[in-house]
Amino acid sequence: MHCKELESVLEAEGLAQLSKDARLHLATCGACQGYVADLNTIITAAKTLPTEVNPPDRIWISLRAQLEAEGLIKEPVEVAERFSWWEGFGAWLKPRTLAAATVAAFVLATAIYVTRVPRNNPPEAAKNQPRVETLSPAQTQAGVSVQPSSVPPANSGPSPAPVPSKNNKELAPSPSESASFTLDQAELDVPNMQLAGNSQVDIALRQNLRTLNAFIAECELHLKQNPQDELAREYLNTAYQQKADLLAAMMEGGRGDN
Amino acid sequence: MLFAASTAIAASPEHQERHFAVQGHPVVVLQNVVNGRIEVKSWKNSEVVVSSTAAKDKVAIDMEQVGDRIDIAATSTVAAGQPHEVEANFQLTVPEHTELQLKTQTGLIYVEQVTGDMKLESIAGDVHLKEVSGYIIVKTTGGSLVCTLCSGKLEFTSVSGNAQLLQPSFTNVNLMTTSGNILYDGDFLRTGIYTMKSGKGLVEVRFSGNDSFDLQAKTYSGTVDNQAAQFMQPEQHTSRHGNKFTRVLNRTIGMGFAKVEISTYSGTIRILKRD
Repeated sequence: MHCKELESVLEAEGLAQLSKDARLHLATCGACQGYVADLNTIITAAKTLPTEVNPPDRIWISLRAQLEAEGLIKEPVEVAERFSWWEGFGAWLKPRTLAAATVAAFVLATAIYVTRVPRNNPPEAAKNQPRVETLSPAQTQAGVSVQPSSVPPANSGPSPAPVPSKNNKELAPSPSESASFTLDQAELDVPNMQLAGNSQVDIALRQNLRTLNAFIAECELHLKQNPQDELAREYLNTAYQQKADLLAAMMEGGRGDN
Repeated sequence: MLFAASTAIAASPEHQERHFAVQGHPVVVLQNVVNGRIEVKSWKNSEVVVSSTAAKDKVAIDMEQVGDRIDIAATSTVAAGQPHEVEANFQLTVPEHTELQLKTQTGLIYVEQVTGDMKLESIAGDVHLKEVSGYIIVKTTGGSLVCTLCSGKLEFTSVSGNAQLLQPSFTNVNLMTTSGNILYDGDFLRTGIYTMKSGKGLVEVRFSGNDSFDLQAKTYSGTVDNQAAQFMQPEQHTSRHGNKFTRVLNRTIGMGFAKVEISTYSGTIRILKRD
């Protein structure tokens, strides 16, 4: 038997069952011995590779928050589920083909987000909101400086808070509410997490999470009463994104220790 | 050409120095996942020098060169589950034209006289830039940015960090902090676009008599403290008005060449003219 023939035999039948001729050739041929040794090394290394590599948790958090913020997915995950939402979400998307499709969806969602024209037409529910007295653009332009003491904010002062219209109540959870819910679910595990094991980092992360939560609560409260306030919505969306990044950093640090 | 050199020094000496020859504009990627400072300065040589000081037996420093890219990583070797208050400090000397991607946890990132795109990330550490030029992205959680005599484009995002831009020459600036303060003290270039937002903090802009820009300052429940009203005219180019929730101040300074947009949700906007 020649080297080429042995190579063909190995390709067809593997290393397990070699014929007598093949074994005789192998015993006397240094090149083929080296070839078989290489094959054995590759097989051994392949066995040590994990069958499936899960993407990090932060991918799922960012992905879900982004999709929900865009209103592409709306169904909240059951709170009573045994596993946290991203584990379930991760398990659902485990096959690589689905993961690739999800990444494509994420890119599409991002593209929509980036290119979307600001909403010029407020929803019917928003149109039904009672008007709240505020400073007009003409008033603003006329003044040298604008102080809040002279003009109370829309949701403060003696005026009654705007009452949500019936249409508002019938609306499905808004993308913001879904994003908020998703982030709150992700945050549930944070108190039990060891984080980075580095006190300076841990303190900074927790302090900034509190800062974000307070700001988010302030914006959400205002938007519940005034859902068409674009400035508040802009700040709220940014805060959601920052919170998603912060939680991802916390989980990454925690996982590094485990 | 592929040249690779890798070292893993778990029980490294306290001080280590490595030299990497480069041909073009190098890319330096440094990820420091322990405490410590990163300092980057430039020189005329086509060589990157990495000096590190790390706690003995507690930090592993890996360095690898692939072509003109140099990857550096510092990780803790302390057993999992144990607190690791360890530190690794880096001093990099790079060619003037170098791209940087630096990430650290708590230490200061200091970059001086480097031209090239850079992405600098930190959790609690501050970022100080001096005479730096390029497309600069700075992302912190609580760390602050001080940028002196810098140019190019700048993006800064932070939860509670402050941003100070002193004598800048940026053509594009985008600053966002949720609770930190922003100070812009410098000129606005003619075709520049400048966006500065703080959720709850102070945004202060100090412009010069030679500046020319359209200004929009808006807030929901904060304060617009315009101390330079006598140098402004009602805006002449666009009709960017607020809605019933947002108080908006639209003004033109000079010919209104640049565009400056400042906003705060509940903080303070202060506009001043420098003497």
